[in-house]
Amino acid sequence: MLTFTVRRLLYGVILLFVIVTLAYLLLYAAAGDVGRTILGPTATPATVALKNQQLGLNSPLLSRYFSWLGHALTGNFGNSWFTNQPVTTAIFTRLQVTLTLVFGAVIVSAVLSAVLGVWSALRGGSVDRGVQLFSVLGFAIPGFIIAVFLVRYFALGTHWFKPTGYVPITTSFSGWIRTVTLPVIALSIGLVAGVSQQVRSSVIDALRQDWVRTLRSRGIPERSVLFKHILRNAGGPALSVLALSFVGLLGGAVIIEEVFGIPGLGQIAVLATSQGDVPLVMGLVVAIGVIVIVVNLVIDLLQGFLNPKARIS
Amino acid sequence: MFHRKWPGVAAGAALALLGSLVLGACGGSSGSSSTLTLGVITPATTFEAPDMNWANESPYNQAVYDSLLQASPAGAIEPHLATAWSYNAAKTVLTLTLRTGVKFTDGTPFNASVAAQNLEAFQKGTSNNAGYLVNMASATAVSPTELVIKLKQPDPAFLTYLTQAAGSQESPKAWKTPTASTVPVGSGPYVLDTKATVVGSSYVFTANPNYWDKPEQHYSKIVMNVYTSATTVLDAIEGGQVNVANTFDDTTIPQIQNAGFTVYPLQLNWAGLSLFDRSGTMSGPLGNVKVRQAINMAFDRAALLKDMSDGYGSVTAQVFPTSSPGYESSLDSYYSFDPAKAKQLLAAAGYPHGFTLDMPSITAAFGADTYALIQAELANIGIKVNYTDYQGSQIFTAILAPKYPATYFTLEEDPVPWQLAQFLLTKDATFNPFHSTNSTVAGYLTTMQTGSSSQAAAAAKALNQYLVQNAWFAPFFRPQSSFVADGHTSVVVQAGNAVPYLWNIKPKS
Repeated sequence: MLTFTVRRLLYGVILLFVIVTLAYLLLYAAAGDVGRTILGPTATPATVALKNQQLGLNSPLLSRYFSWLGHALTGNFGNSWFTNQPVTTAIFTRLQVTLTLVFGAVIVSAVLSAVLGVWSALRGGSVDRGVQLFSVLGFAIPGFIIAVFLVRYFALGTHWFKPTGYVPITTSFSGWIRTVTLPVIALSIGLVAGVSQQVRSSVIDALRQDWVRTLRSRGIPERSVLFKHILRNAGGPALSVLALSFVGLLGGAVIIEEVFGIPGLGQIAVLATSQGDVPLVMGLVVAIGVIVIVVNLVIDLLQGFLNPKARIS
Repeated sequence: MFHRKWPGVAAGAALALLGSLVLGACGGSSGSSSTLTLGVITPATTFEAPDMNWANESPYNQAVYDSLLQASPAGAIEPHLATAWSYNAAKTVLTLTLRTGVKFTDGTPFNASVAAQNLEAFQKGTSNNAGYLVNMASATAVSPTELVIKLKQPDPAFLTYLTQAAGSQESPKAWKTPTASTVPVGSGPYVLDTKATVVGSSYVFTANPNYWDKPEQHYSKIVMNVYTSATTVLDAIEGGQVNVANTFDDTTIPQIQNAGFTVYPLQLNWAGLSLFDRSGTMSGPLGNVKVRQAINMAFDRAALLKDMSDGYGSVTAQVFPTSSPGYESSLDSYYSFDPAKAKQLLAAAGYPHGFTLDMPSITAAFGADTYALIQAELANIGIKVNYTDYQGSQIFTAILAPKYPATYFTLEEDPVPWQLAQFLLTKDATFNPFHSTNSTVAGYLTTMQTGSSSQAAAAAKALNQYLVQNAWFAPFFRPQSSFVADGHTSVVVQAGNAVPYLWNIKPKS
């Protein structure tokens, strides 16, 4: 297990190195005149040249890259070109917000998917058809359309929730609820649609297995059969879908944060990319790369915990 | 099969959630009357005064810094940290008398030496307005209250520049700290609350308890929220989350008005063609005034305004704004839409079959339709336009190189004629890449630079007329942008600036 973990982490480091190198080169290839981008059309050419010099853009690309890499290895990702805030501060401040949304969506999706999937598998009939219809709609309607709908009706219509912004839980619990609920719902609907179907089919599969009949014939209570045996078997595939979706949710949060004006990673990812804020984009590439690598590793380890057949010897 | 109903846990949780929402909703959605929430469209690039930008970033600056002078909403120069000022006869030495008793938030007193250091730092800095101090030869503190600025040549816009970022005053000690760009140390009406601020998204300012000009401090707290899309700012307006805001999209104005907001229309730019190559060095035909006039007659300006700006704005053929002494209302309609006459002019100029014109485009910013409309209108009189599309700032590099004889763009209109001249018209102006000039233009510019205010105004008007008649540009319209305010807030807009000056945003009494 330890060898496996270390090997996976090593692969992760190599992967991250390749990604950041490619990202750095591609970003600079498309960056254009950075000083002019920052200062706009009114600045004189002399001021633009001074800005480029201050940013170290007059040195060769490879020298800039190795300088950036050297600093990055010490945790110094430089300052944003457009706000002058240290990149690490910008990312850590906003990561908390994005992870709140993503974890919120994962928890809500896990609970709702389990409930809907099991309910649908066990009850069948109209309940099953209703859940399937919901799944098709959840898949078909993009998250940002759901987000716009939620803002229109549940924020601007009923005033139950805030249409834009984010209130930290430490500032106000009700404020936090009023700012995170709609984004979490918007992020969750597509995920619930997928995972609930996964749970449903896994539970139906499990119910048809001989070992379920054997358990029942030995007089094991139905509740125990469901929670201890069927759900544990059905949980593996559902967990895979859910965990893989975690990474997808980081992408989904980009759009959702934009719609709700939430100061998370997604909001600065959109802004930094459109502005060509290379230090910030590179910081985001590293942060998201690390998250993806760690999440994938944790999923592999969790799979082993849930399903002994998948354990790494 | 199981037919159990799910336990009431979920229902209980839902009720608890609903309860917290209802309680939250009872708390109300708007802040107290002493809090101003301002929706802005760009984050602060930096808080280090010598590098700060203006225009959309002016509220950040005005919250924390005082400037040497202030501008009235119409642009008249008024005292602020400088209480009096005078020029010598040659208009090359400016003497300012400074206020006493003003201190920065780090305790450093404001005086002439500090002011001189700020001006020198701004001149050497990387603000997008740094070029405004290009004519400053020196700034010297004669005494703690007397500052003498020597200019290389007269600069009629210099006093205006001292009302903006170039005149902002910060404690020089702050520039040596590692937090120089994120923690401002000014003497202004508010102090940045760095703990409550999320850089790039939401900036929180609290009233400076030691501010010297209390009557101009209208709120105990100001929040500036950055909105980067038309939908989000509209949601914030309709949801009562802002008191005042800049908007992106004029088509949302009816919804904004329905939400009880007052719309203040602004015209800060002109959209149209800059016919840079007036000597015909790159594109021979553009050197002929008849060709440039024909281009001006090729455009149905009213239709372009409707198609490109949803009808929000005013058609024009001049680059001077209505707030400028150089503005002449009759010039707005100087060129009528007349393709037949345009063709005659082209023929008279020796181009009966038209010619080919290369121009840059940036469809990501202005949309492919804009360029297609221009192409179609010019094709109508026989001019074939070839575009090369650019991404981001590369278009500026190409325009200013200069790589193209003409371009479509939206450019700023400065209310002070000399400011506009330094941007568009003088031989070395940033947006005069072919360095176009002649004795007539140079004569008007000299009068604008050295004459009395009435002579300068007359020269600006005459220059404007000359530029329109000789078709240096082919402006289409002045697009509208809007600043909006709720029913609790009174606003006086600022000539030439996207955001009203902060002290002109007040709670309604």
